[in-house]
Amino acid sequence: MTDDSDINAMAAEYALGTLDPGERASAAARRRREPALDAAISAWEIRLGPLADLIPAVEPPASILARIEERIERLDRRSGMVEGAGSNVINLQRTLGRWRRTALAASLVAISLVGVLYVRESQRLTAPRTFIAVMQKDDASPSFIVTVDIETRLLTVRPVAAPAQPDKSYQLWMAHPSFEGVRSLGLVSERDLAPRPVLTGFDRSVIETATFGLSLEPVGGSPIDKPTGPVLFHAKLIQATK
Amino acid sequence: MPTTTKDLIAYLARTARGDRAAFAKLYAATSSKLFGIVIRILSRRDLAEEVLQEVYMRIWQRAGDFDATRASPISWMAAIARNRALDEVRRVKPVSIEDVPEVLDLADPGELAITGIERNEVLQKLLKCLEGLEPNKREMVLMAYYRGESREALSQHFGSPVATIKTWLHRSLAQLKICLGT
Repeated sequence: MTDDSDINAMAAEYALGTLDPGERASAAARRRREPALDAAISAWEIRLGPLADLIPAVEPPASILARIEERIERLDRRSGMVEGAGSNVINLQRTLGRWRRTALAASLVAISLVGVLYVRESQRLTAPRTFIAVMQKDDASPSFIVTVDIETRLLTVRPVAAPAQPDKSYQLWMAHPSFEGVRSLGLVSERDLAPRPVLTGFDRSVIETATFGLSLEPVGGSPIDKPTGPVLFHAKLIQATK
Repeated sequence: MPTTTKDLIAYLARTARGDRAAFAKLYAATSSKLFGIVIRILSRRDLAEEVLQEVYMRIWQRAGDFDATRASPISWMAAIARNRALDEVRRVKPVSIEDVPEVLDLADPGELAITGIERNEVLQKLLKCLEGLEPNKREMVLMAYYRGESREALSQHFGSPVATIKTWLHRSLAQLKICLGT
């Protein structure tokens, strides 16, 4: 799906809403890193947008605005993890909790592996301010290495001896107390090793303290804004070069 | 006091700068429209209320992305609302077979065309292009847009295989694009 007509067909059906859940998640993830697809989707949203004028208005309950403002308040305080009580914050806590639980067993061996990789990466990489995170299954088989150039905000995911998962997709996520829920950073595959501009909107301090997670999703990725499948790994970035 | 497009653009610009009062005005002017959009797709009030909150959180966070030279504020917000509602409806009912009888209550385009809603040139042009589609293709596009129907639900409704529906959708959308010339 790379030529113009394929992109246009995918964009049109994304905007209309008829892609199946897997295709929809894949299109949503791709539009974040493919400007051509993003532009095509926006163009379709604009083409179909006038139809919304014909939809009768329905008054929502009066309490909704206050609930939204509460969420904004919590977002502004940037301390949702410890004191928030709303559903999204709880979701975030749950997600983080699940990541931690899942990765707890692996974290001890991860520490030793990070040490090894730190040396290797720092010898190899000459660019300043490179951060890495290791996501691994056990001490014998490191599975994914996330590299972030903090200056350019480019992120690279390298699967290393990652087990092939037929009929599944690996999806990378990011969580941080400064935003609600988790953000998808796209699907991970052996074939796509190009640096991704998925972190451009984030402050350096957020990236440096964020938690990255990797989940196993239906082909094409999670149909919603958070992992639906098992979260296999989680990790924080460490500085690989000075 | 009717809110004009110009007002909405100003509210969005101020919202992008973190102006909560402007955001509240934006909400007051648009929430019943966006709630109408999401409740039509989700059919369930509780889900629609939750989704509406998330839609406005996104609008709050992404107001800076709005480009008044490209889209109207309501089209931009409607797209956010539809996308969030569609994500939810695909999660909640991946195949909405049980809801198919309900989709028959969709107003037919002829009825839509005579509703007394003030509409701009763009909408009139779009409706004209929709009228150029064969009636069942037009109904299919409108059912997908207004009710968020999946290909499977459309396949049930029109008694055609999903692959045929996909082909119809692609052709109809391509025809619309040519007709609109944009």
